[in-house]
Amino acid sequence: MADSSPNILLSVENLKMHFPIRKGFGRKIVGHVRAVDDVSFSVCCGETLGLVGESGCGKTTIGRCILRAYDPTQGAIHYQNGRGQSVDLAQLQGKDLISYRRELRMIFQDPYSSLNPRMTVMDIVAEPLRIHRIAEGREIEDRVAETLRKVGLRPEYMRRYPHAFSGGQRQRIGIARALVLDPRLVVCDEPVSALDVSVQAQILNLLQDLQSEFNLTYLFISHDLSVVEYLANQVAVMYVGLLVEVASTDELFQSPKHPYTEALLSAVPKTVPRRNPQRIILKGDVADPANPPSGCYFHPRCPYAIDRCQTEAPALREIGPGRKVACHLAEQLKLHGVETS
Amino acid sequence: MNTSPLLEISGLKTHFFLDEGTVKAVEGADLMVQHGTTVGIVGESGCGKSVTAYSILQLVESPGKIVAGKILWQRPEATGGDLLDLAALKPNSREIHAIRGGEIAMIFQEPLTSLSPIHTIGDQIVEAIRLHRPVSQEEARRQAVQMLQRVGIPRPEERLDNYPFQLSGGMRQRAMIAMALSCHPSLLIADEPTTALDVTTQAQILELMSELQNDFGMSILLITHNLGVVAEMCDQVVVMYLGQVVEQADTVTLFNDPKHPYTQALMRSIPKIGQRRRGRLDPIKGMVPDPYNRPHGCCFHPRCDKFVPGLCDQQEPPLRKLKSGGMVRCVLYGE
Amino acid sequence: MTTEAPQSIPTPRVEAPREVEAQVFVAPQWKLVWWKFRKHKMAMVSGVILILIYLVALFADFLAPFDPGLTNSTYLYVPPQSIHADFGEGKPGVYVYGVTSTVDPVALRREFTIDPSQVIPLKFWGRGWEYKLLGIFKTNLHLFGPADPAQPAYLLGADRLGRDLLSRMIMGTRISMSIGLVGVFFSLVLGIFLGGISGYYGGSWDQLIQRLIDFLRSIPSIPLWMGLAAAMPLQWPAQRVYFAITVILSLIGWTSLARVVRGRFLSLREEDFVTAARLDGASQPRIIFRHMLPAFTSHIIASITLAIPGMILSETSLSFLGLGLREPVVSWGVLLQDAQDIRSIATAPWLLIPAIAVVVSVLALNFLGDGLRDAADPYTR
Repeated sequence: MADSSPNILLSVENLKMHFPIRKGFGRKIVGHVRAVDDVSFSVCCGETLGLVGESGCGKTTIGRCILRAYDPTQGAIHYQNGRGQSVDLAQLQGKDLISYRRELRMIFQDPYSSLNPRMTVMDIVAEPLRIHRIAEGREIEDRVAETLRKVGLRPEYMRRYPHAFSGGQRQRIGIARALVLDPRLVVCDEPVSALDVSVQAQILNLLQDLQSEFNLTYLFISHDLSVVEYLANQVAVMYVGLLVEVASTDELFQSPKHPYTEALLSAVPKTVPRRNPQRIILKGDVADPANPPSGCYFHPRCPYAIDRCQTEAPALREIGPGRKVACHLAEQLKLHGVETS
Repeated sequence: MNTSPLLEISGLKTHFFLDEGTVKAVEGADLMVQHGTTVGIVGESGCGKSVTAYSILQLVESPGKIVAGKILWQRPEATGGDLLDLAALKPNSREIHAIRGGEIAMIFQEPLTSLSPIHTIGDQIVEAIRLHRPVSQEEARRQAVQMLQRVGIPRPEERLDNYPFQLSGGMRQRAMIAMALSCHPSLLIADEPTTALDVTTQAQILELMSELQNDFGMSILLITHNLGVVAEMCDQVVVMYLGQVVEQADTVTLFNDPKHPYTQALMRSIPKIGQRRRGRLDPIKGMVPDPYNRPHGCCFHPRCDKFVPGLCDQQEPPLRKLKSGGMVRCVLYGE
Repeated sequence: MTTEAPQSIPTPRVEAPREVEAQVFVAPQWKLVWWKFRKHKMAMVSGVILILIYLVALFADFLAPFDPGLTNSTYLYVPPQSIHADFGEGKPGVYVYGVTSTVDPVALRREFTIDPSQVIPLKFWGRGWEYKLLGIFKTNLHLFGPADPAQPAYLLGADRLGRDLLSRMIMGTRISMSIGLVGVFFSLVLGIFLGGISGYYGGSWDQLIQRLIDFLRSIPSIPLWMGLAAAMPLQWPAQRVYFAITVILSLIGWTSLARVVRGRFLSLREEDFVTAARLDGASQPRIIFRHMLPAFTSHIIASITLAIPGMILSETSLSFLGLGLREPVVSWGVLLQDAQDIRSIATAPWLLIPAIAVVVSVLALNFLGDGLRDAADPYTR
């Protein structure tokens, strides 16, 4: 499933995003937060790449760099456009960039702040159509109605304002806004983590249905491993701005190769009563991306760390087909995954 | 050990009287906490689980009010050992102040909003200790250092002089726990203590809470929406929906053999780790009804797949005791 | 405005009849603001009072029974004449008694005694001094006045030149209430422009503008006004002085509005829906005018309402100190100038009545502003 398939839609190379830290009267730059530091990965057409990690690890920043909400500090974002040409999204400016905003869309985490409360559902969903001058007059309304139907909302409600809807319905509106332009790649930034548990499943099912119906490619950003396991074909694990492991979902969950992935999997509370024999409890806190430790960023918390980890930063290297790990000990360690029930 | 329960809530109703109408945030909560055990309250947002906890400590603010029910609290030997109905106490009475923080402590989802930003961690813990115990400033400070050390905060003497914002999320939650446990309460109410934290930090905090429970022998009332956290932490589970307890059972029974259709549907709908892609998820249809507009009869009936027309939408089922020892509020389990 | 709207503030979860509920769901921002504002009783009352005050300002010359500039040496410092009514057959209807003035030979003070034998009937739609209604129609029709315009009817008394205080107060409404509006308009233009640049672009522009605001706000305002007012040539015509005063007032006034605008911009810039608009491909003007501006128009309206009273008070104090408007221009501040010395207050305490007008309008504006501010964001969760 995850072997180097020829239809790579998006490939990110050595992406860096450093935010300056300014201090004092002259707003002098006194350092950088390395939110994303040299990250490379690729997403195949029609598949879902899950990007997991804890808060502050840079996963949201990657999503926003790809959509060019941020201007990346360095690196290339190669995107295979609808006409089969490859473009570097990181280099695009102005008009060229705007035309790609049709093909790459985003679904936000917070269904409340991401919808303008002063616009009707119709205006919110139609906004991209109007900006890109894709439809006019009556046609706009038809397209909005059609999109709303796709996401499971009644088109009669399009004159209503967002305050008339519940969290789950609002998230559907957000999905409709992303889909109305017939995109090819959708960045889903924690699309269900603000929703009630009983509604999450509805939205996850919807995302899956839409993917198969419209051949969408998802970059699915989440901190919730069970959601990622459900939706993703491939998973990339991030720690303090770096990728530490990339693998197909099955492989990653069954036999992780990076100690951080193992700890992450073991930390997820299982819905099996009191059966948690060897949960790994990490020491200390996540490293500060403005001031990361030497060597491997994970070494101060790693139960398997050796001297080499303190001095030498491991590179993300291929250890099998479609399988990359950034750990010196990847081959030696026997790590535990999640038992499949 | 004492066989009577530490805390017993029966028929609790807490309502909020707003301009728009009355919100029945808690409309029939019954639960029991035994000595030294952990009881979990699970439910979605707006199910009344937090309001139940706030009611125990009389922390419900106007326009909210406890309108019915009993909250029987077994006071420890040191303070008389009598049985006290907390629901009957005035929110500002001396008794409830002595109980809050002294006998029952509470920790919250976001420590930043419950710790004072203008006082150091140390000052706050020292104050909490001296409020309930006649000890000197130095002694209180010594105890505070001990507590911080106990909850796994490195270099506790230095941390004592830090302000809450200087600590990371996990460390703040630890400090909050240290403060809560500084007076050795017999019950710790934890309101979504790990929801704002990352999974690895969550694991640390949960582990810490279990350890401390063993050391201090206290009971824990754990409020959460995360079924995984409940499964790992609790002995007993109470499931709430729209202000009512719909099911109560010991954890193993609840997870292996859920009785109430809501519990069953909830278990089916959540994606579980290690359950690789079994096709589609099985969501609960519809959404949580708004609290002003409670469905007539059983409040889950519009979303229930075992809905019996003419029965479920007519009468509210009572909470019935089952042979297994649990309780369930559903017509399917009548005598 | 719609009257059939629901009474309560629209949260979608309110239990309400179907149609009302649907109405809430499709209610645009201004309706939600209005529904929320309507619950603020004080603000509603204040709003009505202000509408009346501004109507008075608009039709001041129609309402004023006497020419505010007309002096009458017989009636210097006449106390208010009280109104009587008698609607019997052949009776005068509404009337006041005449006054006769005598000079106390010892104190050499003029004293007025009410003369019940002299009935001065008042008449609605009477004829009086000539003016241009709304500056267009030449007429001498007035709402009320003595049936014979030559007879005295000083309902609020007269000042030291025998001018009718009521007429002067009504005419003063025009200047006093408009100076706030015009001043706030200037402040608004400056505030939105500079605050917008500061908030939207940030960086060194923000720094520069913020320091300028800090500087302007640190200058003590009365000495600044005094300096600027002193710089105004005495021979300037009244209009130009009026204009200059508003400019002086808005020179300080814009800073607080600029801060409001900047703050809103800064917080909105981070909102997800603005990012969403950017990712939709919206141009910068479209983001600002379609997505951001509607989110703070109501806040701006609330803050300008709260800024007007400051302007009114400033004008009043400037004029009171003799630094602002001068005769023959009539404003409440100019009128209060007559009440400066203790002797005239002792003999003619009614000269302080304009102060009541100032207090009422300032309070009304403050309450209205409070109500608007509370209603400005109907979407808070």
